[in-house]
Amino acid sequence: MSEPNAPQTPETPEAPAGPYVYDYKAAPNRQITMPKTVPLPSHRTYVAEQKAAAEADEAKWQKTLADYETAKAKAEAEGKDAPKPPVRPVPRKDDTDMKPPVPQEATDPDLLKLQALLGDKVEEVFEQAGELVCQVKKEAIHEALAFCRDEAALKYEMLADQSGTHYPAAKDFACSVVYHLTSISRRKRLRLRILVPEGFAPESACSLYPSANWMEREIYDMLGIRFQNHPDMTRILCPEDWEGYPLRKDYPTVGWGQRDISFREDRGGMLERIALQKAGQLGINLKQPKAE
Amino acid sequence: MFKNEEMEINLGPQHPSTHGVLRVKLRLDGETVTHCRPMIGYLHRGVEKICENQSFFQGQVWTDRMDYCSAVANNLGWAEANEKLLGITVPRRAQYIRTLLNEFNRIASHLIWLGTHAMDIGALTVFLYAFREREDVLDINEAFCGSRLTTTAFRIGGLREDLPPGFEKMVRKFLAKFSDCLDEYEALLTENRIWKKRTIGVAKLSAEDAIALGVTGPMLRAAGVAYDIRKAFPYAAYAEMDFEVPTRTEADTYARYEVRMAEMRQSARIIQQCMDGMPEGPVMAKLPKILRSEVNEVYHATESPKGEIGYYLVGEKGSLNPYRFHVRAPGFINLQSLPKMAEGGLIADVVAAIGSLDIVLGEIDR
Repeated sequence: MSEPNAPQTPETPEAPAGPYVYDYKAAPNRQITMPKTVPLPSHRTYVAEQKAAAEADEAKWQKTLADYETAKAKAEAEGKDAPKPPVRPVPRKDDTDMKPPVPQEATDPDLLKLQALLGDKVEEVFEQAGELVCQVKKEAIHEALAFCRDEAALKYEMLADQSGTHYPAAKDFACSVVYHLTSISRRKRLRLRILVPEGFAPESACSLYPSANWMEREIYDMLGIRFQNHPDMTRILCPEDWEGYPLRKDYPTVGWGQRDISFREDRGGMLERIALQKAGQLGINLKQPKAE
Repeated sequence: MFKNEEMEINLGPQHPSTHGVLRVKLRLDGETVTHCRPMIGYLHRGVEKICENQSFFQGQVWTDRMDYCSAVANNLGWAEANEKLLGITVPRRAQYIRTLLNEFNRIASHLIWLGTHAMDIGALTVFLYAFREREDVLDINEAFCGSRLTTTAFRIGGLREDLPPGFEKMVRKFLAKFSDCLDEYEALLTENRIWKKRTIGVAKLSAEDAIALGVTGPMLRAAGVAYDIRKAFPYAAYAEMDFEVPTRTEADTYARYEVRMAEMRQSARIIQQCMDGMPEGPVMAKLPKILRSEVNEVYHATESPKGEIGYYLVGEKGSLNPYRFHVRAPGFINLQSLPKMAEGGLIADVVAAIGSLDIVLGEIDR
């Protein structure tokens, strides 16, 4: 079957080595849009952004006022009617049931306790949407987890979930790894977060929480973050010889080995080719006989 | 005379007792399992990647197809996680209807577990009884949302439609007979000598091991830990419901059977309360036409029939789709405990252990 998007080269084309080896980066319909922002929730960034937005708003208003004053003075000098005084725009009234939660300062005793225990190893603590978030230094994650599990005032017995996110637009890190801890006895949840640069292997949580075993294997499989002292750092969902890490943002949604046929444009043509090929294999001539 | 060496065999990926495409690598000394390694990934479809590239609404159809036996519970967790991310308040009537459908789903899921688990162990009859009542639950699903298995029942912000006419009659009819049906299943199994011999003391998992391995749901409650997210972190309308969390302390396959049977009775109680106290009002929150997220990350966990199903979502500013969509599948985490339960036991008990885990490979591999 011919591939419409295959490069048109007059030389003898090299036979592909197998279905998994496919130059997906060269195919035009595989282009992916990389994210431009780093959606990493943070109270510090939020406060800075709000402040900058308020300042920009105020500056714009001051400029409008100044423009009005000059226009008024000009009109008076020319003897014309004074222009309308400007009205400061009020934010549009939101009558929907949607109020996106914003990061707030940490007030929960657990977060304050953790901050006191870890000292300057904590990068940030805040609350958002009723969830407690503590971002620690990437080298200190094992220590933080040990405190969360063993400290009598914290007692987070279960590591409910561990996951990661790829942030290609960030400069000083590549991925985040989040740990969702649950305290069954105290009915609380806590999120620990670390930011890891490319190639950094964080300490595995398996020695503290055995449930991390498969979750860390999944993170390695999907995002390519290796963990130190993990008992079995192998792929779990993809085959062992799989190339690339699917949940990275530079991994295409259209995968390897897929035919480069646009079904929308070439539906009839492709189906006909497949039918003719199948019929040919069976020794049936499907072509319409020419009219005599 | 006889060689004394270990034998390595594969259970699955095509074996009826592994409930899908689970492959378990076993090393055997005679009939005793000395090493057990579950191998998964045969059904990996990249649900997380797909959902990251679709709008907030479009993710729901994929949650149906993760754990196809408990689609409504997956839909509920998905809807609430999105609502938490976007900061949406859901009307009270919608919460009640969601709770009601979720409990029906728990019954359907536990019934399919009961039938297949009993069949794995050799009690074929109860399968036919369990599927008879499951059919009624699927009819109720169909009456509400038009489909039986992959429900797509909810919307972000509430429900698409209110309850159809005649729905209450269907529910009342089901509730009237369901208690007797449960007695029927229990008459077939609870005092059955073969069933007791195959399950009592088999595949034990202590509470400490279960918590360390992250095991949730009926597995954890059968070990004596009364951890139910409906009680611990109430969501939907569960804070207003009066129900008990059944627990056992034996931590074996029989205890898990008892916990699940008791849970079905509690589900019927919750459905009764939902139907009696159904509030009036709208079923959909007032939302903008296009949903755009702010920078935010949430982890929302709900109690699915299998355990804790959690959705971890990251929102990008002004984006139409989630930046990161991660599912904490209960089966994936629970399956980690299989070596702990199977090693040292007999090979026939591996089948009982897999059955008592109640796994669906669609959500494990995602």
